[in-house]
Amino acid sequence: MESTNIIGIYDDPDVVVAAAKKLRENNVRIKNVFTPFPIHELWEVLGLKTRLPVMTFLYGFTGLVVIYAFLYWTSVVNYPLKFGGKPLNTLSFVIIMFVGTIFVAVLFTLITFFVRQKIGPGKEVTMIDPRTTDDKFAIVIEKSPDLTDEDIRKITMILKETGAVEISEKARPDNYIEEEND
Amino acid sequence: MYKAEVRGELIHGNKSYKQITREILTPFEAERPPKWWYVGIFLGVAMLITGLWSMYALVTTGIGIWGLNNNVAWGWDIINFVWWIGIGHAGTAFSIFLLILRQRWRASINRAAEAMTVFAVLCAGLFPMLHMGRVWDAFFILPYPNTRGPIWVNFNSPLFWDVVAISTYLMASGTFWYMGMIPDFASIRERTTSKLKRKIYSILSFGWVGTARGWLRFETAALLLGGLTAPLVVSVHSIVSMDFATSVMPGWHTTIFPPYFVVGAIFSGFGMVLTLMIIVRKVFKYEDFVTQGHLDAIARILTFISLIMGTAYLTELFIAWYGGTEYEMFTFMKNRITGDYTFAFWAMITCNAIIPQLFWFKKIRKNLAIVFIMSIIINIGMWFERYVIVVTSLSKDFLPSTWAAYHPTIYDKAFFIGTLGIFLLGLLFFFRFIPMMAISELKGISKETSIKKDEDHGKH
Repeated sequence: MESTNIIGIYDDPDVVVAAAKKLRENNVRIKNVFTPFPIHELWEVLGLKTRLPVMTFLYGFTGLVVIYAFLYWTSVVNYPLKFGGKPLNTLSFVIIMFVGTIFVAVLFTLITFFVRQKIGPGKEVTMIDPRTTDDKFAIVIEKSPDLTDEDIRKITMILKETGAVEISEKARPDNYIEEEND
Repeated sequence: MYKAEVRGELIHGNKSYKQITREILTPFEAERPPKWWYVGIFLGVAMLITGLWSMYALVTTGIGIWGLNNNVAWGWDIINFVWWIGIGHAGTAFSIFLLILRQRWRASINRAAEAMTVFAVLCAGLFPMLHMGRVWDAFFILPYPNTRGPIWVNFNSPLFWDVVAISTYLMASGTFWYMGMIPDFASIRERTTSKLKRKIYSILSFGWVGTARGWLRFETAALLLGGLTAPLVVSVHSIVSMDFATSVMPGWHTTIFPPYFVVGAIFSGFGMVLTLMIIVRKVFKYEDFVTQGHLDAIARILTFISLIMGTAYLTELFIAWYGGTEYEMFTFMKNRITGDYTFAFWAMITCNAIIPQLFWFKKIRKNLAIVFIMSIIINIGMWFERYVIVVTSLSKDFLPSTWAAYHPTIYDKAFFIGTLGIFLLGLLFFFRFIPMMAISELKGISKETSIKKDEDHGKH
């Protein structure tokens, strides 16, 4: 945990996107960007993707199958009770399957989100800069051992050129969120 | 792309991000709540006690204390249930339809609308639960392996569909609401100077830090949840309407019911949102965030929905005549338009189909006092709609020998007041302990949707 970070603080979303782009063009590995609200362009610049929709589809599909299996088992196999002259395996199952699928998909999508994001009630965090939940945007670059002084100077230059209002170097907090962008 | 020059600003005053955080949190960070807040709490508790008294009497005596009888087996309980569920449609209709349609103006309203949804659905759920009579056996409705056969619940019954739909709806809208609050709780966590508050909001914020990837997942999850819940908005009230439509009662047994109910629900929900937002904006001085434009947009939607409501009423009447069933004809012509329940019927028509048409006039849409009154009238009208549907059909059905009149008792009324109390208390706590608008979302839209007054106007 020796390594420290170079942090560039910005105060405008468009500027921070441009800065991230510039850093990427210069082959600087951006460790993380902290923003007070989602910036879509930033994801493109950093090349971030998520597979959450695929998972949601799988959850929904599994939910649908399981619910139908349950309805079939209860109504046809376990306790076949005829009433109203309707078939045991009826079309009106559609309604419960429809709503139940949504239930399963919503619940598991949320759980996946929390698990993948590694957040949950009671989790203590130390922010690299608390102002990023208010009005500042922070680009964090890890000062890994293989960076020469020359590289670090270059990075600082780029940060300055792209309009960072503050540049600082900070040790990483103990429970700093580990996140890889590549 | 949103063109603020054409469509008007969504946030007035060219606010900086810091200003947005500060202004939204002003009432939240106030040392103590204003006096009226305590008055409201007092009122809410009084109403809640009234309701609890009624519920206690109900549970200890039985549902005979309600005004129900053999023929009118559903009264205020189901009326209020449907009414609350209808109001509960606002949150999802707002935040989710507008999210999917990428309507940016939802940002300053969705949080409050979703809060309303959650409290309204909680109120709604009480009615069918207590109508079961033995509320301690309410879990019988859940399909679990049991020692009674195991006999399962009736999966073909709209009443069971209701249980599934409403619990799903409550879960989905509740979690969606909470998820949206996580980044704002994180803002509070980092802002507050009080140790206790920091502790509490640290737990509530789930350790959110707002990394780029976190936001990507957050937005994707919100969109997915929205996409999944949007069909739920349509299905929940369709299912509620099937409680009625799958029976053979004259006036109920119609195919128009599902869309008619869904539209009605969204109508009353939007009405309630309008009521609430006018109050919130005035009391907490959020005029810059909830602009005339926002309220104007809601009023326009209400005008349109009101036309659909009017059309639905006329269609029902037309089909009653065109269908050639004498019982339908009797219910509509002799028991609604004329007859014992004329007042309720015409109150419904006036409040829902006629009065909202005043929103065609820009002058009226601009006069918030009138808009406020109209938003309340809409919800009264929607209550009467449910009254007309439930009571007229049940009180005079096929056999004149089974006709019966319906009069609610004091217990019915007290129960309803109790749920109003729950709703009021819920909103008051919401005003005090939760940021009333989605701060992060407002920041996300503020740059694009305000008109810059300095020289970089038109640059982006």
